[in-house]
Amino acid sequence: MEGHGSLWRRLRGGHEAATAEPDLGHASEGREVQDTLTIAGREFSSRLITGTGKYETFELMRDAVVASGCEMVTVAVRRIDLDAGDEANILDFLPEDVLLLPNTAGCETAEEAVRVARLARAGGLPDWVKLEVIPDPRHLLPDPVETLRAAEILVADGFTVLPYMLPDPVLARRLAEAGCATVMPLAAPIGTGRGLKLRDSIRIMVEEAEVPVIVDAGLGAPSHAAEAMELGADAVLVNTAIARADDPVTMARAFRLAVEAGRAGHLAGVMDEQATAQPSSPVGGLVTQS
Amino acid sequence: MNGAVTVNGREHELEPGETVERLLERLDLGVRYALVERNGDPVERAAYGSVELAPGDTVVVARPVAGG
Repeated sequence: MEGHGSLWRRLRGGHEAATAEPDLGHASEGREVQDTLTIAGREFSSRLITGTGKYETFELMRDAVVASGCEMVTVAVRRIDLDAGDEANILDFLPEDVLLLPNTAGCETAEEAVRVARLARAGGLPDWVKLEVIPDPRHLLPDPVETLRAAEILVADGFTVLPYMLPDPVLARRLAEAGCATVMPLAAPIGTGRGLKLRDSIRIMVEEAEVPVIVDAGLGAPSHAAEAMELGADAVLVNTAIARADDPVTMARAFRLAVEAGRAGHLAGVMDEQATAQPSSPVGGLVTQS
Repeated sequence: MNGAVTVNGREHELEPGETVERLLERLDLGVRYALVERNGDPVERAAYGSVELAPGDTVVVARPVAGG
């Protein structure tokens, strides 16, 4: 096949340099630059991952991906429509240095998910997979038993597995023990934009995390993403909230800033809530004092 | 007659010695991004040009699409 050098680089997961030691020699922004996210030995400077679904056009998707600053995007795998011909493909519109994360959306059993992941890898996509096993079409909630089973098979087969899951700290531990590279708890059901509805469970997951925690699904506003990051999540994954905004490119930038702000807030140490008011001005020396 | 293969549920006559790559090209399915399964097993991209299809084979051709 002709001229597939760059194609192979892209299909195989973007820039190879990303797996090397980060170059901090010219870092000028202080610790922000060094606060990288490591997943399966690969360094990411962005803690925002975006999905590529639901955009009106590939061009809009590309511009939003660039504006988001993300270094990893999800893609789905579907059968080709035999009558559609060799039409434009999403990969032609994604920046080359963005890591593709194939998902197993639409799979209802472990066997289906394993099949899709293996198909994607054989065809040249990365051996990273966002594992989704979802038998429930109404709420799109993942099957924990099948997800764990698929994860075990895929890890044994050499995949880097990022499983989508309900925020269950016990399941998170089981998935990490199975060799998953991350755990990806949902904030709220996919596409609902309702924010951190399962906040307390996610908090426990963060506290007990053995692998990076990526809050995925249900984040509807930049403030939701900031809240997840303040809570201590390692990253967030956002799709609908950006793609379906009136201005997806600006919203992508808003999520980028929110993720950075939330992360900085977490590192800085968010204050504990107080039951009663605490004055910020001196209580003594009042001018009106008699 | 060289026999037929089933591609994404539809039957197609085979050409003599037809490889996965040739089939993709003939059906205009976009070799660059095609992901191929033959009789339930994934086909490695490096083998698209060498794996010959046989009558009765079931082929699934997929590709990356937008998704979250």
